[in-house]
Amino acid sequence: MKARMLATHVALPVVAIAAVTVPSHAADFDWMKFKGKTVTFLANNNPVSQALLTYKADFEKLTGMTLKVDGYQEQQMRQRLVTVMNANSDEVDVFMTLPSREGEQFAAAGWYGDLTGVAKSEVAKEYDPNGLSQALLKAATFGGKLTSMPMNIEGPIFYYRTDIFKKCGLEAPKTIKDVEAAAEKLKTCDSGVTPFVSRGLKPAVAYTFSNMLHNIGGSYIANGKSNLCSAKGKEALDTYSRLLRDFGPPGVVNYSFQQISALYRSGRAAMSFESSNELRTVMEGGARLKDTGLLPFPAGEAGQVPTTIGWGMAISSHSKQPEAAWYFVQWATSPEVQKKMALQGIAPPRPSVAKDPEYRKWIEEEPVRKEWQAALDVLATKGSSEVGYPIVANPESREFIGQAVQDLILKQKTVEQACADADKALDALIAQK
Amino acid sequence: MSDTAATLTQDRQKLEMAALSAPAVIFTVAMIAFPVVYTIWLGFQTFSSTGKQSFAGLANYSRLVVDYEFWHGLWVTIALYVLSLALQIVFGVWLALVLFHAKRLPGIVRSLFISPFMMPPVVAGMMWLVILDPSLGAANYILQSFGLPPSDWLASPTWVIPTVALIDSWQWTPYVALIVLGGLQSLPPSVYEAAQIDGASPLKTFQRITLPLLLPTIVTAAILRSVDLLRFFDIIYITTQGGPGNASNTLNIYGFRVGFEFFNIGYASALMLTLTAIVFGAVLAFNRLRGAVAW
Repeated sequence: MKARMLATHVALPVVAIAAVTVPSHAADFDWMKFKGKTVTFLANNNPVSQALLTYKADFEKLTGMTLKVDGYQEQQMRQRLVTVMNANSDEVDVFMTLPSREGEQFAAAGWYGDLTGVAKSEVAKEYDPNGLSQALLKAATFGGKLTSMPMNIEGPIFYYRTDIFKKCGLEAPKTIKDVEAAAEKLKTCDSGVTPFVSRGLKPAVAYTFSNMLHNIGGSYIANGKSNLCSAKGKEALDTYSRLLRDFGPPGVVNYSFQQISALYRSGRAAMSFESSNELRTVMEGGARLKDTGLLPFPAGEAGQVPTTIGWGMAISSHSKQPEAAWYFVQWATSPEVQKKMALQGIAPPRPSVAKDPEYRKWIEEEPVRKEWQAALDVLATKGSSEVGYPIVANPESREFIGQAVQDLILKQKTVEQACADADKALDALIAQK
Repeated sequence: MSDTAATLTQDRQKLEMAALSAPAVIFTVAMIAFPVVYTIWLGFQTFSSTGKQSFAGLANYSRLVVDYEFWHGLWVTIALYVLSLALQIVFGVWLALVLFHAKRLPGIVRSLFISPFMMPPVVAGMMWLVILDPSLGAANYILQSFGLPPSDWLASPTWVIPTVALIDSWQWTPYVALIVLGGLQSLPPSVYEAAQIDGASPLKTFQRITLPLLLPTIVTAAILRSVDLLRFFDIIYITTQGGPGNASNTLNIYGFRVGFEFFNIGYASALMLTLTAIVFGAVLAFNRLRGAVAW
């Protein structure tokens, strides 16, 4: 079993990444090869695709192709994709995907086109596949097949109000215990602000909770069974829910990124644990530009194991024109386009872009951007892409994690009851083929 | 023209009319029948998490019987339905009476009264989500400025169903009021003149004349709202996504998640067909009631 797991989780991704990292550039690579074709892109209407599609006309000019964009909000995009793929339809050529969420599932369903070959042989010389984050490429490799190319790098980071911390005589927290102590002190020092806020909405909890669990030293699965009732699992559930229950805003069980960013931006939260992608939203209006500090989430007993994910671009296995679709994917994940997106605040999945002088200049303009990039550097080097259970039914597993956390926030169960109920349901999911 | 010739002409006209309308009729029937038949077929299939499909017989329906989430969803659906319908009928009739008697009410005020149901439910949901936010929303601000304690509204497992029912009633009560107002305007004035001559008080007139005569109209409004309320989805999805926990997880929300988030289209189809049967049952029951109160 162990040897098989090693083959699946280590050896096969290495083979796939090796295929990407040994490019044999086609000397006669021609961007105009598919001139006149139309590529359909199913996009999640989020800041990543919005930044990318600013340059849609550039792609059409470069390739002579037409890019048809089918854009939806995240959940609606997945519904559309499920419908299209279940119907074996070729309506979609390229779609956005979160390998950490649906990667196992979509790969097992055969919905991803295999990019291993094209990423090796059909690349323009400036593409530089070596320059893409190896961790994200690994996270997008299933069964030895590379299934998507990274568009960005992101993860939850810790936002805190330097002015309030200073007023209350607090230092930037280094550990989770420091966060708890700071929350306690903030509650009495400044009763006008919410000490701590993070995700409480059931399906959204896993994104931030996973970071806490891993920092504390817990794991989702041990010996093929759900592991939330382990000592570390219970500690993580207890700490996360206690922080939100005792120091979070009323109604935190309905909080996802929109509510969290709105609360922090309005100056009514002292600490916020939310996505790095929210920087632009949080800084809108400029009120938080000078009084915000940013860190990776403070360490637990296992140190810092931040959650690091990224949106990827995949080619549909039902596409009738995967070669033309690959040209779009390649253009969208090229160093040139990713640099342009980075200047719009989309963290680049390429270290070379992160070091680019123009991008560095943009970063240096504001101290908060420097801290943001420093936090992202930690995410890129230490990150884990495990958000929820690493199983085919990952989206469903997130529901049970969220349910356990909500049961604790609402004091409907004890930690033992909540983790036992979650483990029971999750064991059934793990057992599913 | 002889009788035979006239009959032949009539028959020919009927045939021509049938032939001309047939494409539209066939198209309409197909558009209704295909999704229903396809969903019935899907209800007998099982889909693994990876989308692999196989025939499951009645397995989806037997799973439904022992599925706690199904029974919980059914309870939430019924609770929300009963509460919302009661609020909308009571306040709808009241609003209709106000609009009927306040004949000199300016047009703009009348339009404002009925404007909520013209708002897309998604917009209404977003608006109320902001208003009812326990930290940033106006609702708690108003409560506290009157010295009342704040509420968790949509974030409270206890209050989420009444709160969602209130949002839906805010939106759809004017619709019920419009239907009832139509009924009020069609009531025969002679009955009221007779009551006036007999010296009936306004309350007695309402109890003994208006309400009984309005009952068929009220039942019609109840039927229309029942169909919508049992299929209630958009506002819950926008405001709570079935939470907190599963406190507002209606059958519709549950079916949606099973189908589109967990990709088990077969079980989701079985859930939705069961809900459809419940909707039909409610409509049939109300139709019988309408027959009983007709005058």
